[in-house]
Amino acid sequence: MLKQVHSVPKTNVRKQNLMQSKSFKSVLFWLILSPIVILTLFPYAVMITTALKPATEIYSNPPTWFGTHLEWGNFSRVWEMGFGQNMLNSIWVTLAATFLALLVSFPAAYSLSRFNHSKRFSGFYRQFLLATQMLSPIIITVGIFKVVASLKMIDSFTPLILIYATFNIAFCTWMLQSYFNTIPGELEEAAWIDGCSRFQSFTHIFLPLALPATAIAALFSFIYCWNEFVLAFLVLRTPEHATITMRVFSLVGGRYTVEWELVMAAAVLATLPMVLMFVFLQRQIIRGLAMGSIK
Amino acid sequence: MKPEKFSATALLFPSLLMALIVLGYPVYELLNTSAHSVNKFFNVGDFVAFQNYQSLFQDEFFRAALVRTVYWTVLVVGGTVLLSFPIAMILNEDFYGRSLARTIILLPWAVSLTIMAVVWRWALNGESGLLNLTLQSLGITHERIQWLAESSTSFPMAIMIGVLVSIPFTVTVLLGGLSSLPKDVYEAARVDGASGSIMFTHITMPMMRPFVSIAVVLNVIYVFNSFPILWVLTEGGPVNSTDVLVTYLYKATSAKFFGDPGKGAALGIIMLVLLMLFSLIYARIAKEGEDVRA
Repeated sequence: MLKQVHSVPKTNVRKQNLMQSKSFKSVLFWLILSPIVILTLFPYAVMITTALKPATEIYSNPPTWFGTHLEWGNFSRVWEMGFGQNMLNSIWVTLAATFLALLVSFPAAYSLSRFNHSKRFSGFYRQFLLATQMLSPIIITVGIFKVVASLKMIDSFTPLILIYATFNIAFCTWMLQSYFNTIPGELEEAAWIDGCSRFQSFTHIFLPLALPATAIAALFSFIYCWNEFVLAFLVLRTPEHATITMRVFSLVGGRYTVEWELVMAAAVLATLPMVLMFVFLQRQIIRGLAMGSIK
Repeated sequence: MKPEKFSATALLFPSLLMALIVLGYPVYELLNTSAHSVNKFFNVGDFVAFQNYQSLFQDEFFRAALVRTVYWTVLVVGGTVLLSFPIAMILNEDFYGRSLARTIILLPWAVSLTIMAVVWRWALNGESGLLNLTLQSLGITHERIQWLAESSTSFPMAIMIGVLVSIPFTVTVLLGGLSSLPKDVYEAARVDGASGSIMFTHITMPMMRPFVSIAVVLNVIYVFNSFPILWVLTEGGPVNSTDVLVTYLYKATSAKFFGDPGKGAALGIIMLVLLMLFSLIYARIAKEGEDVRA
């Protein structure tokens, strides 16, 4: 360290140290973040406290955060309304669509990352992926409805699975491709020199390294499928066939009297699986996304 | 064709084919329907060319929804990007409780928009809603507000919720950008005696440009197409006063409302064209920006 040549007033140095101390920074940052943190947590607080209120106290006047006692029975009442079936529907649609999306995205990402495509072709492919993002279910409502109706697939999971998978191709491919780009090609080339075929080097060397990113891509696809609403709203007709998100909405949509304590208990059940996954994997998610968002 | 080249293309083929069939077929049907007169049971009648489009443009509700969509998209995306940048800057620093802060801010992503909107609808309830309770106990407001009864309060609330749920994705994209910035550039600048604000305007901002671009383009697409928030809160009401194009499209199509799929299809095509135009213009602007710097 060079000695400071010109003298700095002492107070300034102290201020500098204070500004740079981690504790001071932490307090300052949390203060700045507090409005957004409060606004983000507010709906969860509403959801959980309402789910635990007795039905008779929902429309209490003036409103209160907590009822006279915690009513855990709301959850079992929701369960008895057949929400287990809706959970299973969501799980099936989510897993099938994610599997399908990865089945086509993984090879596509591998190809983009490992083969030399002409600039023109890869540019076209990228534009094509972006275009799939513009075609949200709501925009092509009429087209989807006509096709699904003519194939006699109203109230069936098949169109949901196919369309969800297709909408996830773009994101999965982008993310996997940027991650694959970070896996050094030399590893595979070394294996070829040792006499491995391209396929062998892929399964023995590339695949194990690619699995973490694939898991993150799958998680994003899970979240999308689990939470999607518009398409389920258009295609599914009966409560037994509804996905969990759709079923929660059906307790509210177009109704004049809403049993909010049940709606919120159902919302907690619908939200829990994804939130838990998210909290456990948040570190990997941020890393995975940092990869996925590069160009 | 060399075997190498063949497998390179063959690997891309399934994804292209699937997207073309699964999305292409409905788009074809959409175009087809938009040029025919169609009754509410989706029975296709005569070919009417652009009549559906014409009747849309003569419809005052459509024009109002178009203007409102511009407000909705600009305000939600603008608010989101403006808030997300400082949040991402903070979350990129090292401080106590950083992973907790990250988890909280990213949490809304794991929850469905629909369920978020359902919860807010209850929180905004005029009589028993917890938002009024909270605001009154903090002394911010003094009487109970019927948030969802009028578009003058429900639409701003919808925009706020839209911003809140768009922040996680945007922060993550920007955070990815910030964490990929080369450290040595900052070191060099510090050695040259650059102040923090100079570093921000001359290093951080230009290097973050591509990430901001991604965030803006994808957010515009998602927000422009976002149906659940407004639908759950107000169904576009009262009397279509909070309709944006997506909710209006649903109403135009659905037999429960106007029951005119031809009109709904025409609106779908118009929205697609608008999004494509936006992407083209944006790509042009982004390119110019890069040319200026290069």
